[in-house]
Amino acid sequence: MSLIKEKFNQISPSEFFYSNRDLAGFSNPTRSLYTAVREFVENALDACDQKGILPDVHLTIKAVDPDKSDPKPYILTVKDNGPGIEPEHIPLAFGTVLYGSKFGLKQARGMFGLGATMAILYGQITTNKPVTVKSSVDGQTQDEFELLLDIQKNKPVIVKHNTKQVSKKGLSVSICLEGDYSKAGNKIRDYVYETSLITPYASITFDDPKGEKFSHPRFVKNIPPPPTIIRPHPHGIDVERIRRMIVESQFEIPTIDDAMIEKVRKDLGLSVKNLSFTAIMDKAKKKWKTLSRQVRVVIALMSFLKMDFEKLNKIKIEDIDMPNKKLFYWDFGDSQSKSVDMDPESQYFKQLTNTVQGEPLTTFLTKRFQRIGPTTALKFAEFSGFKPEKRMGTMTNQELVNLSDSLQKFEDFLAPDPSCLAPLGEGPLEKGIQKFFNPDFAAVVQRPASAYSGFPFIIEMGIAYGGDIKTGGPHVYRYANRIPLLYDEGSDVVLKVVNDTDWGRYKIKGDPPFIIVSHICSTRIPYKTAGKENVADRPEIERELRLGLQYLSRKLAAYMSKRGQADMAKKRANLYAKYIPLIAEFCTELAGKKKEPDYKKVLEIENMDEVKKPVEEENKVENK
Amino acid sequence: MKTNKEKTKIKERSKKADAKQKNILEMLKSHGAKIYDELDNGQFPKFSIPSRSVSNIVYDKKLRQYILGSNAAIRSSRNSSQLRSFTQLMWLAFFANRLTKEKKSSTLRDVYYSSQAFAIEFEDQSESDNIIVDLEAVTSKPREDFHIFPEERSSIFGDLNIEYTIPGYEGKTMNLSNHPDGYSIGPSLTTAELVDTSAEIVIAIEKGGLFTRFVEEQVDKKFKSIIINTGGQAPRSTRTLLKRLHEEMNLPVIVLTDGDVYGEHIAMVIKSGSANAAHLRELTVPDAKWVGVWATDIEKYKLPTIPMTESDIKRCYDLKKDPRYEDGIWKKELDVFLRLKRKAELEAFSKYGLTNITEKYLPQKLELAKSL
Repeated sequence: MSLIKEKFNQISPSEFFYSNRDLAGFSNPTRSLYTAVREFVENALDACDQKGILPDVHLTIKAVDPDKSDPKPYILTVKDNGPGIEPEHIPLAFGTVLYGSKFGLKQARGMFGLGATMAILYGQITTNKPVTVKSSVDGQTQDEFELLLDIQKNKPVIVKHNTKQVSKKGLSVSICLEGDYSKAGNKIRDYVYETSLITPYASITFDDPKGEKFSHPRFVKNIPPPPTIIRPHPHGIDVERIRRMIVESQFEIPTIDDAMIEKVRKDLGLSVKNLSFTAIMDKAKKKWKTLSRQVRVVIALMSFLKMDFEKLNKIKIEDIDMPNKKLFYWDFGDSQSKSVDMDPESQYFKQLTNTVQGEPLTTFLTKRFQRIGPTTALKFAEFSGFKPEKRMGTMTNQELVNLSDSLQKFEDFLAPDPSCLAPLGEGPLEKGIQKFFNPDFAAVVQRPASAYSGFPFIIEMGIAYGGDIKTGGPHVYRYANRIPLLYDEGSDVVLKVVNDTDWGRYKIKGDPPFIIVSHICSTRIPYKTAGKENVADRPEIERELRLGLQYLSRKLAAYMSKRGQADMAKKRANLYAKYIPLIAEFCTELAGKKKEPDYKKVLEIENMDEVKKPVEEENKVENK
Repeated sequence: MKTNKEKTKIKERSKKADAKQKNILEMLKSHGAKIYDELDNGQFPKFSIPSRSVSNIVYDKKLRQYILGSNAAIRSSRNSSQLRSFTQLMWLAFFANRLTKEKKSSTLRDVYYSSQAFAIEFEDQSESDNIIVDLEAVTSKPREDFHIFPEERSSIFGDLNIEYTIPGYEGKTMNLSNHPDGYSIGPSLTTAELVDTSAEIVIAIEKGGLFTRFVEEQVDKKFKSIIINTGGQAPRSTRTLLKRLHEEMNLPVIVLTDGDVYGEHIAMVIKSGSANAAHLRELTVPDAKWVGVWATDIEKYKLPTIPMTESDIKRCYDLKKDPRYEDGIWKKELDVFLRLKRKAELEAFSKYGLTNITEKYLPQKLELAKSL
């Protein structure tokens, strides 16, 4: 009998994504090429947005061997005029999965910088070629890297690195990957086209593998204000987030080394070198109010250790056991662990308690979350059954779960702060629609901010009719955080709302030439899949979309009815011009006359009457 | 060679036809002149059309038929929603004028297609049919007077001399017992003059099969009759002919139908018209008699029967609401049908042999008719 030992291995993030690349949209050469374009273009736009730079983005796709048939290797290059990346971050940013600058709570196109690395990873495994990154932060020197990913270790391997003189800031990323442009081409062109509609302040060019150039110059000169990073809203939080926030709020026990002692001396204003313990404590008492938190903790520790600076140098604080009121330390002289009792009555005890146990609940709420004041915090404490002064550091796991539940359920929190969102704005959106579709009618609306599960969101919508728009509408252009969504539109919440609309009610019939643009901005778009192409039907979002669409539809209906009236008047005039001469012709023969009656007067009357409809004669029944 | 007396008669008859034509043309002309003058004076022409809605159809006990009430609607060329139908009606009058003048005949379908030569569009034939009824309603004349004839044909057989009035046949005569299949009641027969007959009665029969049997059995000779096959519900030209035979030749009219509620109604329409033609008064033979097959005959003659369908029964109840079915045999037979819930066809007599219907049933019924 043999025993088979089960082996447990930890896999690296890059290893995981290598085996699950379809999760991020790299399932086949067609989709991968499109996804790679998206990731790099969106990174470029994000980088410019955040620094307030009007983006110039150049996208190039070139076949390595144009004579080969698809799928085949392509070189994809995206170049921008953004802030660039400091050379020391480049290897990690492009050679590590899950390394990025987008983890804060504000709206951006991408979330984790994951996609770009995935594209690089995909390129590497299909063509075994490194990624080339050129970056200039100062507009004078440019760092050029060639990198490969060590997938198993999730580490970058620098193949080549050099610097040269340049005259422009910005970043250029170039990868070689297997793709199918003959199939992905349409989507990529659509993507570039639709991106330029929702990013009217960007200038985007695309050189495609067949030698065609697509150029979308910017037509709005002002960049919308960048979103700000905000604290989280209590409705969007879970236990793990709370735990992490508590750790952030706790003050670490300072290491008492030479540098720290020097700092304490300086803050206390001690000129004499070897001052006694009591003298130090006296001095600290006098200057307490001006002392920093760090120094206060050191003083508190000293008060229990009853040591002067010289002795302090020979120990290391190990642990503070608040419930048992004991302070443990390592004595380098004896090489053993020792402890002293702490007097709970001492004012310094409280100081240490604060440090170790963290902030009280109310402070925690008001300081760590957005839009919570002391009143709301107290109300919440009552609601959740926690004491307002309950120290966050003393919460048990179960208490944390209860707290998290209560945060979700408490309804008196203000709606999330939308300052982290970056809608395009009604002006630029309408300008874009005018330029792209040259419609007979257009209207836009930006709904007030709303929230789902603690995540703020804003809906922007536009509607346009006639002009250059093709019939067969409504055609829906979906955007989320300024990204056009091109795949999986069937199951999208926007489509659901559009399809639910009874267009007949808005005087839109048949095969109308009309488009709808919908832009959902949120710190977290509730995508249905990791491919990020369709938005789930959250009731809050659905409601806002519905209201936005209804508002626009009413405007369109008003336009349609005006237009209908004009059409009708024209039709009526045509009707009389057609039928009256026929009546004249027939009655001439009936009456046995040679010359037709003079019916011109009748037609003139009709023209004058056009405005007031002769309703009075319709269906009139008279009794003989 | 025709005698002088005969020649004079022919002249008289063709004068009569000419007069009728002249009358129609005059009427159309006066309508046309009114429209012409209105247009010439800068007014939107309009005219009044009797309302043909159900609420305006009433049974006139004196006339013994359905007629239109006094409600009328104005159709005006000023109203954009009526302009099209106004023009269509004008065109139809214009077209009828040409037909009448040139003595050409047309059908409902033919009218529908003819319209397309004049840039007058009808959505479908039912729209043009409707306009034709409008013209009838405005002029109170049946469309046959404007030379628009139905397509469905019924037939006639018996000793009746007629004289054609249609172009190319004027003065020609024909005896309607010359052809054993009978003569089709088409435009030429409908407009022909009725010269003379030896018959003493007209028998209208619902079914073609029995019509042939009657000819074979020489019902025309044995009972001195003219036999008419109505082919189900009698077409309007057939009803016109029945009326003329009754009025011009003083012949009583009896009707033989299947023994069911629809047969009873076929007889009633010949007698007092249909609601659809309530705007016309020249299609009914109020003295016509329905002699069977009655529901009571089913029991009396022990005829093979078929169960009534739900729609048969529903039809019974519908007819009971009709004022014409309020009394007499009309009511009595309906009630028996409802009691039996069964029906019988004319052919059912064949159970007793092929000639049973003509030898036994018909004589008894003719005898009975005298007392009705």
